[in-house]
Amino acid sequence: MTELACRKCKFINIDSTVCKNCGSTELTREWYGYLIIIDPEKSEVAKKLGIKIPGKYALKVG
Amino acid sequence: MSKYFAVKTTANQERVVANLMEMTVKKYRLGVYSVLAPRELKGYVIVEAEKMEDLLTAIRGLPHVKGVVKGETALAEIEHFLAPRKAAEQIKEGFKVEIVSGPFKGELAVVKRVDEAKNEITVELIEAVVPIPVTVKADHVRIVDKSEEV
Ligand SMILES: [Zn+2]
Repeated sequence: MTELACRKCKFINIDSTVCKNCGSTELTREWYGYLIIIDPEKSEVAKKLGIKIPGKYALKVG
Repeated sequence: MSKYFAVKTTANQERVVANLMEMTVKKYRLGVYSVLAPRELKGYVIVEAEKMEDLLTAIRGLPHVKGVVKGETALAEIEHFLAPRKAAEQIKEGFKVEIVSGPFKGELAVVKRVDEAKNEITVELIEAVVPIPVTVKADHVRIVDKSEEV
């Protein structure tokens, strides 16, 4: 299982070379911190980061 | 209004706890909106929830959970974990970049200097007859080649 974070939207993709969230192919193994957005409608954190889709994200992408 | 709590976990099990919490929250439709495990915060996860009770239900019986830190924390206190990395931090001298915005849009250039504090880079346009240094915002370039050859 390879977890690659998208450089564009920080979404963590499992065993994929294309970001399942935004379609970007700029994925990287270098990412730090972990964020699970469960309810993007109510989450202030999601709003702050502009995240609209629930899922797992990196906090920082290298 | 969201509330923020710090949950103490076994070190290096922060992500495991976050994943387990997500499952419980979905299963019981609890008012927990997000879970953060910043790298800088070993042995803790930060939970954004509607109220304390939702958090307590979400962690009840979970392995690797050692307790909840007393009191709430504020969004302002955790904001720095969310700060997006500056574009300039990802660019180094010698990188080949394409300028994607401004008067030099479409030009290829070599990075000569990086100013992380200002998030600016100084480049020399590859096609220019006389190489003149141009300073642009780091967000206005796309990295083409990281080989750092000059
Ligand atoms: Zn993406």
